[in-house]
Amino acid sequence: MANIKTGSMKRKRTIGNIFSYILLILISLIWLFPYFGLLMSSFRSYDSNVEYGGMVDYIIPHTFSLDNYRFLFDGGTNYVRWYCNTLVIAIFVSIINTIIVLCVSYALSRMRFKGRTLLMRFWLILGMFPGFLTMICLYFLLKQMGLTQAGAVPGLILVSVASSGMGYYVCKGYFDTIPKALDEAARIDGASRARVFFTMTIPMSKPIIIYTALVAFMGPWCDYVFASYIAFGHDSSYNVAVAMQRWMVVGDYQGYFTRFCAGGIVVAVPVTILFMFLQKYYVEGVTGGAVKG
Amino acid sequence: MANTKSGQAKENAIAGFFGILGNDIKDIGLTFTEGDWKTKISFIIFGFGSLLRGLWLRGIALLAVEVALIYYFIAFGWGYLSKLGTLGTVATTKKGRTTVYGDNSFLILLFGLLTLFAVIAFIAIWRINVRTSRNEYLILKNGRKLPTNREDFLSLFDSRFDKTLLALPVTGIFVFTVLPIVFMICVAFTNYDANHQPPSNLFTWVGFSNFKDLFSFGSAGFGGTFVTVLIWTLVWAFFATFIDYFLGIAVAMLINKKGIKFKKLWRTILVMTIAVPQFVSLLYVSKMFASDGIINGYLLKWGIIDTAIPFWTNPTLAKITIIVVNIWIGIPYLMLIATGLLMNIPEDLYESARIDGATPWQMFRHITMPYMLFVTGPFLLTQYTGNLNNFNVIFLLTQGAPKTGNLVGGAGRTDLLITWLYKMTINDTNYRMAAVIGIMVFVVTAVISLVVYNVLPSVKDEEGFQ
Amino acid sequence: MKKKLVSVLLTATVAAGMLAGCSSSTTETTTETATETASTAEETATEAQTEATVEETAETEVDPAAYDGKEVKVWVAENVVDFTNEQIENFKTAYPQYAGVTFTVEAVGEGDAAGNMITDVTAGADVYGFAQDQLTRLVTAGALEEVNPDYLAEVESANSAGVVEAGKVGDTLYAYPMTADNGYFLYYDKSVVTDPSTLEGILEQCEAAGKNFYMDMTGWYQVAFFFGTGCTLTYDTDDSGNFTACNVDYASDAGLVALKEMIEVASSSAYQPGSSAGDAVNYAAIIDGTWDAGTVKEVLGDNYACAKLPTFTGSDGNEYQLSGFNGCKLLGVKPQEDADKLQICDDLAYYLTSEEVQLARFEAVEWGPSNLNAQASDAVQANEALAALADQFEYTIPQGNYPGDYWTRAESLAGDVQDAFKTASDEDLTAALEAYQADLESYAK
Repeated sequence: MANIKTGSMKRKRTIGNIFSYILLILISLIWLFPYFGLLMSSFRSYDSNVEYGGMVDYIIPHTFSLDNYRFLFDGGTNYVRWYCNTLVIAIFVSIINTIIVLCVSYALSRMRFKGRTLLMRFWLILGMFPGFLTMICLYFLLKQMGLTQAGAVPGLILVSVASSGMGYYVCKGYFDTIPKALDEAARIDGASRARVFFTMTIPMSKPIIIYTALVAFMGPWCDYVFASYIAFGHDSSYNVAVAMQRWMVVGDYQGYFTRFCAGGIVVAVPVTILFMFLQKYYVEGVTGGAVKG
Repeated sequence: MANTKSGQAKENAIAGFFGILGNDIKDIGLTFTEGDWKTKISFIIFGFGSLLRGLWLRGIALLAVEVALIYYFIAFGWGYLSKLGTLGTVATTKKGRTTVYGDNSFLILLFGLLTLFAVIAFIAIWRINVRTSRNEYLILKNGRKLPTNREDFLSLFDSRFDKTLLALPVTGIFVFTVLPIVFMICVAFTNYDANHQPPSNLFTWVGFSNFKDLFSFGSAGFGGTFVTVLIWTLVWAFFATFIDYFLGIAVAMLINKKGIKFKKLWRTILVMTIAVPQFVSLLYVSKMFASDGIINGYLLKWGIIDTAIPFWTNPTLAKITIIVVNIWIGIPYLMLIATGLLMNIPEDLYESARIDGATPWQMFRHITMPYMLFVTGPFLLTQYTGNLNNFNVIFLLTQGAPKTGNLVGGAGRTDLLITWLYKMTINDTNYRMAAVIGIMVFVVTAVISLVVYNVLPSVKDEEGFQ
Repeated sequence: MKKKLVSVLLTATVAAGMLAGCSSSTTETTTETATETASTAEETATEAQTEATVEETAETEVDPAAYDGKEVKVWVAENVVDFTNEQIENFKTAYPQYAGVTFTVEAVGEGDAAGNMITDVTAGADVYGFAQDQLTRLVTAGALEEVNPDYLAEVESANSAGVVEAGKVGDTLYAYPMTADNGYFLYYDKSVVTDPSTLEGILEQCEAAGKNFYMDMTGWYQVAFFFGTGCTLTYDTDDSGNFTACNVDYASDAGLVALKEMIEVASSSAYQPGSSAGDAVNYAAIIDGTWDAGTVKEVLGDNYACAKLPTFTGSDGNEYQLSGFNGCKLLGVKPQEDADKLQICDDLAYYLTSEEVQLARFEAVEWGPSNLNAQASDAVQANEALAALADQFEYTIPQGNYPGDYWTRAESLAGDVQDAFKTASDEDLTAALEAYQADLESYAK
């Protein structure tokens, strides 16, 4: 009797699992389809003797070629420069952002000072203003410092970094989960706040540090609107998003679609690799901090 | 009842503010009358008292700030601040064929505000300076010992570590976030648009006339369009948040299910959408769904449809398509978050439910969902407000299209307030109206957040969670 | 282990990248800014001096030292960047006094150029190309200097009259005409479309072959229908670029015929909105301009053909010829605070729009010249696309000045044509046209 029951349950579970697998495969196909299309387009040559670089109504290219990738790296465009710009911005923003966020989070999580809640509330309210309108204002502020056009790369770093303190929620949420008793014990032993911060809190916060750095690193790759506002008219200080967006929207670039796809694939490589290997920390960080903050 | 209560609270707050201010002024007076000559000179020369008392570290710091700020006022700030009332009067003129630029209203407003900030900073530092001097005086008077410079310095890493940590971030936020926002609010009260474009033209203060434009419901008034766009913004944010949320949890549960193999593979596939920059993936998806895109192309080729499906040209279909594409983007994030959280739910809860003969659906409804909702409440709120201002998805997919003559200001059927105001600044350089809409976006976000925030159980007590 | 390997790899690529491209970039930017500041200092120093002597220099021999170290920024469309660089070298030979001037050419598309100029005139280019529809916007924003009076007569006589008119706001010529090819006509696939003379025929043949027909219905293109049925839409401006009056009669029977034809075209299963050959898919006919000739040729190959726009039979049974705009691309000079620099910019703009350079540009990128002599040259006459455009220009009107709001509003009408209007009754359409006309009139004050 019991045997039959477990047997039927097993069968039920197997059927359920098969169903789940079908669903998962379906989901995966849907999720991967655009990337598959993107990748295939990137292998379609823009050379008119081979194929065509504009839009077409088929996915798999008639001949596979690396022309688009060659185009990106053979010096005909500033692609390498744009890529470098973005990489430099991403690295600096990622490092400085993380430092600032850690500082702010520690101060807000561990220390109680006058105006603390006021400051937190004030920042919360600030975050509700739409950022776009402030672009023109930031442009002229940066221009005053000489950080537009030719100086757009440091300018972009400065702007992303300057306001990063407001993104403390997740990290503070994480710090809040580290027991305060640990800090207090160390302080009774005579350690200063700074010592506690550097020797205890930071080593315990690996997931959140990686999470913060990763999120900050990804931002600059998508920054199109603000970057184009600051760097306009100076090709060599564009980032990839600004420069490649032109291939899609500006009428002077006909038949650049496949080159855009190839450029996009190259852009996606570092972030995807980082993400695949740091995924675990991302999950830990986001669940440890985001939800409780 | 509630009204009087909040009224009272407000009164208390105002009274409290004036109380503090009064005490402060009294304190400053006392400092001056009771203080020795070192303290008195400190009123003009920052840090003077500290310097003479041997605390050269803080003395020099205060003095340096004073010198720097005064230099800023004289060399740069005053020229702008003095014109802030009119935003400039000297028009641009021609001298022969060369151009002689007059006042630049934009820079006057921007740097005038910056100087105003600097004035406030100056007063605040002056107050700190006075208080420091008084404290030192009192310590000496009571016969106690002043801290040494070394102790003074080290306190920055211990008792005053918060100030060290926050100094730079707070300054950065003031200059690069607060100043631009104040600037934007000011622009809403000026006539800064395509016809008043510095440096060739001046713009000036106009009071509330832009707000009147927004709420005028004529054929050319912004009112009707504003309401239409606002409603779609709210609806979009609702669907974008909750559909993604529930489906994200569902997918996470599917992957976490016992007996499913290759968990990491499934997760990694989904996570690709986070890793690939949106300006690449969304632009591709947008082309995919176009009336001449590959989806329609293949459907036509296979004879499934006769005419192309108007994914982006039919307003209703465009809205649905956007929400669907957003699921594609949103699920991976939520899947990751839910994965972490689901593991935190104590297994014995399910165990006992199973013994009681609960079906999986009942367990989901009575255990999983309440737990998730409780823990993710504040997160959902930030998701919702984030979606209200979700620029990328709309801009990269439709740019607001399809457009219609029933909406003014270039707004389309799928425009959110944020993309609408972006278009206004970029295409029409209509900064004044964009600023007004920006303020409205803030009001909407703030009201929703405030209401929800007060309802949520999990944010009541911050300390309780620690 | 694996993780370590990846991190090592990543740091290696990052470091390599920084070494390869970015280290040189930092030094480059610093020198750039250094020279920039130096030059601005110099400018301010020489300003007082040059203002005093400006009248003399105009008369007497020019002192080349006065121009040394000046920097002139030029913005042109991507595909003519190399061409413009070459021409600037020729320019330096033709005007030896400018040997010490630094010219930098940046690829900024014509649409972006106007927007960027307006964002910040001071950081914008000194000489830049733009399409005619941006003219008033740029004049209002103070981003255009009047054409140098020394060149005025020559520019006016050398270029076709319509093009000169297009560069004017009020009675003032604000820019140097560069091309006269800003119009559209029909590209088609000979093997599919055998008779390109009627719109109905083209659509039918496209539908039968399962091919697409591309035509935009936004502001610039929809006038083909309205002007075709005899409607008018023009704006009057005053000298400073303000719109004073709108002459429009869209809310009429002729307007209704045009609108209904637009809806009929949009209802065809072959119809696709769009006018950019690179984005068009599987097409047998596309209404586009000369700038996409190369792309279309590439796709259609031997079946490539072009013609003037077709005729159509309106809902009232009459036959109408599709009309449109004839416009041009212009080269503008930014207002300058320094008389010497203004002189350089004027000379450069004049040179880059001269007969020889226009011809050379045609040879390089097939942009149709606005210069009358250049237009008459054999090479230009023999060009298929330009010939089709010239045929079409017999039915078009010169594109005057239109307010920015017009383009925005017209795009909305295009949206309605593809959607709500398809099921609307005649009364609804008439009401929509009345609303449209009222809006268009409201932009002139």
